[in-house]
Amino acid sequence: MNSGQIPPRLKRWIFIWTPVIWVVLELVLYPRNRPLSSGFANVMGGFVDKRIASYPAWTLWLATAALVVTEVLELRAHKKSARMASIVLAMAIVVFIWACAQMGFTRFDLFGRGSSYSWLFQTVLVVLAAVLVWSWGAANPERADLLVWNTREIWRIFRANWQGIIGLGILLFFSAMALLAPFLVNHAWLSPDASVTRTAFAPPSFHNYLLWFGSDEQGLSVFAEFVWSSRISLFVGLLATVITTVVGAGAGIFTGYYAGWIGEFGMRITDVFLVLPWLPFAMVLAAAWGQNYAIIVLIIAVTSWAGTARIVRAQSLSVKELAFVERARAIGSSDVHIMRKHILPNVMPLIVANAVLTVAIAVFAETTLSFLGLGDPLNFSWGTMLEHVFDTGATEVPTATAYLLAPGIAVVLVVLACNLIGTAIDEVVDPKLRKREESRGESRFTDAAAAPSGALDLARVGVETGGRGGRGDDGGTADLA
Amino acid sequence: MDKRRYFTRKILNAVLTIILVAAFNFMLFRILPGNPARLLLPKGHYSTIAIAQQKKIFHLDKPLWEQFGYYWVDTAEGNFGNSYAQHEPVVQVVGRAIVPTLVLVGTGTLFATVIGIVVGVFAGWRRNGTFDIASTNLGMVLYSMPTFWVAMIFILYFSVKLGWFPSGRMLDVGVTYTSFIGKAGAFLHHLFLPALVFAITYAAEYELIMRSSITSVMKEDFILTARAKGVSDTRVLWGHVAPNAMLPSITLVMMNFGFVLSGAILVETVFNWPGLGLLSYNSMLERDYPVMQAVFLLASAAVILCNLIADIMYYYLDPRVKA
Repeated sequence: MNSGQIPPRLKRWIFIWTPVIWVVLELVLYPRNRPLSSGFANVMGGFVDKRIASYPAWTLWLATAALVVTEVLELRAHKKSARMASIVLAMAIVVFIWACAQMGFTRFDLFGRGSSYSWLFQTVLVVLAAVLVWSWGAANPERADLLVWNTREIWRIFRANWQGIIGLGILLFFSAMALLAPFLVNHAWLSPDASVTRTAFAPPSFHNYLLWFGSDEQGLSVFAEFVWSSRISLFVGLLATVITTVVGAGAGIFTGYYAGWIGEFGMRITDVFLVLPWLPFAMVLAAAWGQNYAIIVLIIAVTSWAGTARIVRAQSLSVKELAFVERARAIGSSDVHIMRKHILPNVMPLIVANAVLTVAIAVFAETTLSFLGLGDPLNFSWGTMLEHVFDTGATEVPTATAYLLAPGIAVVLVVLACNLIGTAIDEVVDPKLRKREESRGESRFTDAAAAPSGALDLARVGVETGGRGGRGDDGGTADLA
Repeated sequence: MDKRRYFTRKILNAVLTIILVAAFNFMLFRILPGNPARLLLPKGHYSTIAIAQQKKIFHLDKPLWEQFGYYWVDTAEGNFGNSYAQHEPVVQVVGRAIVPTLVLVGTGTLFATVIGIVVGVFAGWRRNGTFDIASTNLGMVLYSMPTFWVAMIFILYFSVKLGWFPSGRMLDVGVTYTSFIGKAGAFLHHLFLPALVFAITYAAEYELIMRSSITSVMKEDFILTARAKGVSDTRVLWGHVAPNAMLPSITLVMMNFGFVLSGAILVETVFNWPGLGLLSYNSMLERDYPVMQAVFLLASAAVILCNLIADIMYYYLDPRVKA
């Protein structure tokens, strides 16, 4: 390997981020009942416990399929060096064996949780991924250099926006709480017989950390519920965002690129999903499909992909008209190639900014659906906690104020943080919005109508409202633009 | 664009979308797992006779494409079957719930619009002033709050702690009102909190839109002209800036009104307000599919209709469309 070619900064990043990512992934799988008080050796043992929880088998099958498909596509286009191809194939094989081990080769379990040595597979994968990035950097030193430079530039602009930094801070705080939950509170405090107080709705007390937010209707610790809820709420929000963004962006680019009857037909379907009132729709789906978090994720994705699709479509319609697309077509590039290599990179900033806002929508939607009793009855999320508050009549009990406030404030902070980050990313993407320019102190909201893409921004605000009900699209304004 | 072509296009679009939504509604309730005849029956009533009867009502014994035909006829006739939770035709159950929802949502939207537009105008007029920064940040926070959570806090504070307002329902149970005025007063007393919650959460959104719209209008040349002519600040604001900036807000208000049911579900559930929202919540809990189907269709039609109205209003409000 010709390591001398890699930009030194990329090398440093690989060395720093690989362990960080490994730790984060390990924390996701960490056993639920090994608090810090159980001793250093026991806690460290948790990282390599062979019976720790693991990813559902179907996600691993999906990952295998995705790896193989990208690999075949890249090999057909002769894009990759043989070394990178073999690394990706090795990753695919590792994931495949992992998925098989998960299910014992025969049993198909949507949430296979009985596997062993997940940490080992995971470690191998993380190392392979690091090697992959390394060899990519070695094979394309110029592009790696550009990537490093671009990332630093983006971070420099983002850093200048104090609102974005606050949002990032809030999000990091709650992510840390979610990841470190096993160390903060033992999961055993959530079981129905683990009451901390004899009475229901005990007021908060600072002598015992379990009683920081008081106790609930069964005398269980609200603090314990609060901490463990963050896992479900954030995870569901994140997963729903990934699916929404991939489906929405795909549909948007596709309908934008094929403007003929295919695009028109796709647009009609998108329109139908835009006008479906999301909450009644979600309630119907939840009532029919059942109640667990995989289904909630699916429901959020089904009800919110159309908003992303509409915004991405508007942008790809204008990108498609640019000269370099025509040039690409003239020299005989295929449609798939043009969409992947020319349109996708140009709508990418918009997709990223929109994805951050989608996290807000998804967290909001999860809270709402759980509040209506459509969540997983066996797990806690902030929405489920609020459902308990409402169902048990705790709103009428003054000592239960903290029980009502804590989960709500958490949701508000996370949603607010996502909106702040979205605003900051918009500034990075669109130089017109930056503070240094003539428009001082402007945010996305402030300049929505002034920007050339006014109608589009309005549409986005409409989409953002989704959580509350106005997943509105602006037929009128879009026509004007 | 010429008027007739614009209207025809918009109306055709709306009709087409309604047809697609109705078709989707048909599929939605027939691709659900399980036997549709069973889904349309309450739990524990799965007797063969009941199922056969249900199949006959919904033509489920016919092939799928024939069912599709019957579905259109039934929908056009308003035959959605019987609600099994309330043992009445669905049309009656839904019909009874429409007015309370319209009153609640209408009042809420009215307040939200007025508050949002006025605050937005002042915030946009003095950009980055104290009032602007305070109101915009407050708006962002309110905008991030779940409606039902605000509603619960209000109940805890205003009706439990202070006892100023009742915590739910449209009228008190077991009280007979002697005079019409007494009844109306009690109704308004009950209406206040839910409408306020509704107004607060939507006002934030309208304020943010109005503010951005004001800012963009203030950069226009005709504002400069007005100032050059020596028009006073107040007149520039209310005579030139505000009317021109109103357009996006009005459109948004109109379109949100279509999505009203989504918001109403949460507010009505918390306040036990007997409207469409509470009806859809209860029918979901009881798996009352006939009612769910009707409410879902109604809600989608409302969105499409409001979009159409917004488009038509646009034609009259914005001269650029006519050009």
